[in-house]
Amino acid sequence: MEYLGLTLALFGAALASLLAGIGSAVGIGIAGESAAGVMTEDPDKFGSCLILQALPGTQGIYGLLIMFFALNKLGLLGGGEAALVTWNQGLQILASCMPVAFVGWYSAIWQGKTSAASIQMIAKKPEAMGKAIILPAMVETYAVLALLSSILMLMGVQLG
Amino acid sequence: MSYMYAVARLRAMENRFLDAAFFTRLIECVTLEEALKSLGETVYGQWITGGATPFDKIIDAELIATCKDLEQFVPDKRLLDIYRMPYDFNNVKVILKSAFKAREGGERRHDLLSAMGAIDTETLVLAIEGEEYGFLPYGLSDAIPHAWSVWEQTKSARDAELVIDERLFAAMKKLAAALNIPGLVRWVEHRVDAENIGSALRLARINIDPATARGYFHKGGALSPDDVTRLMSEPFESWGKSLSHTSFGAIFDALQDRSDMQAVLCDVSKELSASLIVVLSSAHYKTEAPENVLLYLLQKDEEAKNLRIALVCVANGLNREFARRLLSHGR
Repeated sequence: MEYLGLTLALFGAALASLLAGIGSAVGIGIAGESAAGVMTEDPDKFGSCLILQALPGTQGIYGLLIMFFALNKLGLLGGGEAALVTWNQGLQILASCMPVAFVGWYSAIWQGKTSAASIQMIAKKPEAMGKAIILPAMVETYAVLALLSSILMLMGVQLG
Repeated sequence: MSYMYAVARLRAMENRFLDAAFFTRLIECVTLEEALKSLGETVYGQWITGGATPFDKIIDAELIATCKDLEQFVPDKRLLDIYRMPYDFNNVKVILKSAFKAREGGERRHDLLSAMGAIDTETLVLAIEGEEYGFLPYGLSDAIPHAWSVWEQTKSARDAELVIDERLFAAMKKLAAALNIPGLVRWVEHRVDAENIGSALRLARINIDPATARGYFHKGGALSPDDVTRLMSEPFESWGKSLSHTSFGAIFDALQDRSDMQAVLCDVSKELSASLIVVLSSAHYKTEAPENVLLYLLQKDEEAKNLRIALVCVANGLNREFARRLLSHGR
């Protein structure tokens, strides 16, 4: 029971990195399929396609960021001794990691789908690149809000 | 390959479609050489091997190349089969009619065979003339002997053709259902309806009795052969109202006030053909809808049809305005 708090906190950090990372991988994969289809016919669109394909990758970075935050909070970065964490505090850290884990996971997949649609849009109308970026960027808003939620909640957790 | 990849690739390929401005320029050409020169600047140019290449061959070569291209990346090749199936059945009809004529001492017309079908034309000729239909797909192994027996009883090539058409629609519907794509089943039904309505209009124009015409209508559409027969017994002006519950109603409403029946027939045929594209057009907004494959092929087919109209018009010095009216712009 001594390490239950730490385990719960690490579980939260792992989920933040894991789910957001999986979401980003799926999202980038979806957009990548679309980009490959367009580039087979028109290799000159590589630049535009790459930008749109990369958009769903940010959720994975947000997840990693929260994981670092959590590890830093637990004193596990820098080689020092781990902080003493009660099960209640561990649970608080786990809960703090959930917004970025789940919103990151789900939003990355949908952002990938929107990016894929935008890639198909620029295949026919290359001049609409600006609009094509805005559409998947709208999905990003909610991933950013989830990141902020996780950061604020983590900052609010008081370790003894 | 996934449909996400395939649809994205098709979107990029759509940029190569010939636009309305090109057709306007093409129709304005004075000579066929001039028109072929314009065509040479498009994607069709690769098939122009010399000044004497017949334009039909150029158009067919592009359509065949498109099918071969799509075969490489479309996840389910059966989607291409549903597009090519009417060409196969048309080839069967050509071979059968040639065989009927040959029996009566006439000439074979195998020059009318299309290379667009999925079944090799030579194989098809050998199978039908050698009466070895067993290996033929889409239920042709049953339909061909049936068509033969109908012809032997009635000596009517038209009646034998109806047997083949009936099997075509049944096979298309079966394949669409097997593919489990709801939009495709609706499209096949729409195609059957469009065929029946087109036939009804042509038969009504030559004053065929509705009861006699009943045998010319096919099953499998949203409208039953009886519905279409009833339609024939009504005056043309009320067809729009009678079909108002279907997507065909609007086509007839728009043509209600026209008095020139020849022009109406021409416009209805054009609109019915365009409606086959319109009925699938919602797939345009779906990034991974398999229907987009068929939609692309139909658009390419429409482009080929428009090219044939424009080039025949230029080659024969026909009325440009008439040719412009025949052009279809379903997409």
